[in-house]
Amino acid sequence: MSHRLGPMQTLPSPMRRFEESDIVDYCIVGVGSAGGVLVQRLARAGFRVVALEAGHFWDTEKDWVSDEKGSHELYWNDLRITGGTHPLALGANNSGKGVGGGSVHWAAFVPRFHPSDFRVYSEDGVGANWPISYWDLKPYYELLEREIPVAGPAWFPWGDPHGHPYGPHPLGGVGDVLVRGCSNLGIRSVAGGPVAILSASHGDRPHCIYRGFCLQGCKVGAKASTLITHVPDAISHGAEIRAYAMASRISLRDDGRVNGVVYFDREGKERFQRARAVIVSGYAIETPRLLLNSACPGHCNGLANSSGTLGKYLMAQAGNVVAGRFDELIRLYKAPPAHALSEEFYETDPGRDFARGFAVQTVGPLPVAFAKQMVAAMGAWGWGMRQVMMDYNHWATLGVLGEILPWEDNRVELAEEKDQHGLPVAKVMFNLHDNDKKLIEFGKNKVMEIMAAAGATQVVQESRFAHLVGASRMGSDPSTSVVDKFGRTHDIPNLFVCDGSILPTQGSANPGLTIQALAARTADYLIKQGETIFYSNRRDLNEPGIRYDLSPPYTRFKGNPRIA
Amino acid sequence: MTRKSFPFRASGGELKDLKQPGYYEGYSSMAQKKNWDEATQKTVTDRVEKVSGIRFFSEKEAALFVAVIDRVMPQDDRAEGRTIPILPALDERLDKNSLNGFRYEDMPPDQEAYRLAAKAIEEMAQERFGESFPLLTVHRQELILKSLHDGKPDPDNAVWQKMPVHRFWAMLMEDCVTAYYSHPWAWDEIGFGGPAYPRGYMRLENGLPEPWEKDEQRYEWNAPVDSVSQPDEEGAPPEHGSLHGHGGSH
Ligand SMILES: Cc1cc2nc3c(=O)[nH]c(=O)nc-3n(C[C@H](O)[C@H](O)[C@H](O)COP(=O)(O)OP(=O)(O)OC[C@H]3O[C@@H](n4cnc5c(N)ncnc54)[C@H](O)[C@@H]3O)c2cc1C
Ligand code: SF4
Repeated sequence: MSHRLGPMQTLPSPMRRFEESDIVDYCIVGVGSAGGVLVQRLARAGFRVVALEAGHFWDTEKDWVSDEKGSHELYWNDLRITGGTHPLALGANNSGKGVGGGSVHWAAFVPRFHPSDFRVYSEDGVGANWPISYWDLKPYYELLEREIPVAGPAWFPWGDPHGHPYGPHPLGGVGDVLVRGCSNLGIRSVAGGPVAILSASHGDRPHCIYRGFCLQGCKVGAKASTLITHVPDAISHGAEIRAYAMASRISLRDDGRVNGVVYFDREGKERFQRARAVIVSGYAIETPRLLLNSACPGHCNGLANSSGTLGKYLMAQAGNVVAGRFDELIRLYKAPPAHALSEEFYETDPGRDFARGFAVQTVGPLPVAFAKQMVAAMGAWGWGMRQVMMDYNHWATLGVLGEILPWEDNRVELAEEKDQHGLPVAKVMFNLHDNDKKLIEFGKNKVMEIMAAAGATQVVQESRFAHLVGASRMGSDPSTSVVDKFGRTHDIPNLFVCDGSILPTQGSANPGLTIQALAARTADYLIKQGETIFYSNRRDLNEPGIRYDLSPPYTRFKGNPRIA
Repeated sequence: MTRKSFPFRASGGELKDLKQPGYYEGYSSMAQKKNWDEATQKTVTDRVEKVSGIRFFSEKEAALFVAVIDRVMPQDDRAEGRTIPILPALDERLDKNSLNGFRYEDMPPDQEAYRLAAKAIEEMAQERFGESFPLLTVHRQELILKSLHDGKPDPDNAVWQKMPVHRFWAMLMEDCVTAYYSHPWAWDEIGFGGPAYPRGYMRLENGLPEPWEKDEQRYEWNAPVDSVSQPDEEGAPPEHGSLHGHGGSH
């Protein structure tokens, strides 16, 4: 039986397999949003690449279901310890496992970051500056918007205004509530995107059927995940994706360069993949964990941690969910959860008493998720729970997506507890600071106001957090950051980090598109550097120039349509 | 499961016996099964047809949690044979050590948390009412559970010094609602369209039903009037951050 990726696409077969004795050019750890793009680019450019992925290699027809509980396996469910004054929920709340990583269960909202996000410290005196500007990343945003590709309005008015390659999606009940509430208050909103969900078929990927199970993995193949957008092309170009391979340690040679990755295979047997360079793409918790677990003589605080910042400056976004009950029926389970938003409050407003801002977005919890929200938001239990849930179809839900600043005390460390392989698990500490608390209070109240303005007769909210970034941040100064602007660790010339963990700040945009754009840029850099990565310690910081000939098939166009 | 809350032993209160609670009379998501993809059909059908036995909990603990679950996720209005199994799902999760990806630093492992809570709840019942929890009247059971819900255990118990009561409550509720609202009979009750691949939905706006869905037919839904688990306008709990990941938002 062929390995299915959606109803029409199949995984290219056979896949190349490298021998244990082979020294590959790149070993990538983690095939998620970033890892999937990297492996595809590097394979297309002719490098010998093995990508290790701890989780399953999904066959979407066999392994995925239209069912909340049945989708448990999509998440990183292994033990982690969470603490601090505002401990983060992990697992299904923010961490994927398996080929595609978080892009399998993301809602696929893909707003770009704003130009101001890259200069937060210069503009507001808080947070950090990026070592690159929006304009360095812009061509990659445009490129990925075509490769994924993105559906959305022809005119997105915030940040650097832009259009989208695919047309916007029709509005569902929740999107209607967002647009209505915002309009009644004179707040601009957009609908139908930007989302990495097809509004028309694209090659072997059918368009969206509005079934609302995006967070359970899109069996239809309408929603983008690197599993279906980039991994097939990677395999066609000779990459090996090795699933059920849990990296435990990166191995360092005496000369201060890495030479491969130690991992556990499906049977729990320890193995070693030799490589001329290593890229870690395990996301904001597992990446620092792996580097910390790779401590060795000369690097006793973890690999690439001479700055002492590895694991620090972890960020999550404020993700309060505001639920409103309407007299009329909404049926919030229809249409993709992600389909309308407003970024009217994104930027710092001197009239408010905090820096930075937030976005307002649709969310679409299915029954189990909604019931949990009612436990938190209303204290529902017993008959009260039964009664509230009987009105499930009368509720609409909107999310705050608020920028929490990078703080040193929000961090990933190693816990005492060990996982099934005997490796120390991650301990995640998270605390809100004054600016964050003010921002959340304001954002939550604003979204409750929007909900009421849309006509809700009862409005409640649940405090929570969404997404993760940071914890091995990029920067120009090796004493305050882990990697340089191309993801190369300051300490080890052939060790790279490329995933959400390198973001210095997070804006109020969902991080996925930015993570993929950064991966494509890092790939261009590595390709331009060619063999020198493998033997030279020289650090070239010149921009590589964007390559337009490395995109997966059928995604090369002249540009992104935009009106005005 | 028990049907003892009708009428409440403590104070009476009555409820119509319903074939199917909720406002979507005659709606059946399982009747749509043939329109679902194979993998989903199997997952959901197994949930209905294959209920696992109790392995993790001892007999005594199981009896206690049956009583607890009957109060935190009451089903007395459901017809016999249409009760949604909750304890078996919880027991299976703990037995298989199926985690949700994290543990709060101030919490013991999930299994230990449930064992400790069983002990605490039983001791609270004995201390306050001089009787074992499962034998208490529904009203008295509710009073004890409400005190856990409120984060103010009455009477207090040494266990709650070791384990934050609000975190245990959140985990208990999460396990219960996951078992209940992942069951197709609950989807019928709340009018959720259920799995929709490959067919999809076509009426996205204005809360309109698909041809196979039902329109809402509201009636005065009458939970026992004297239950203390009725929604409470000031019921919003103190903020403790979110529950175990709900993978339900952005
Ligand atoms: C419910 C939900 C909704 C979301 N919605 C959106 C959205 O609408 N828009 C958006 O932009 N973002 C969204 N996100 C966030 C988004 O999914 C992540 O930010 C993004 O996927 C992170 O990309 P990454 O490449 O850094 O890591 P990931 O995509 O998480 O990939 C990391 C991969 O590495 C693997 N791995 C980790 N450690 C190891 C190891 N030691 N050995 C081998 N493999 C390893 C993991 O299994 C995983 O597959 C959402 C997340 C969740 C949970
Ligand atoms: S709503 Fe659309 S994108 Fe989401 S899972 Fe369904 S078909 Fe896929």
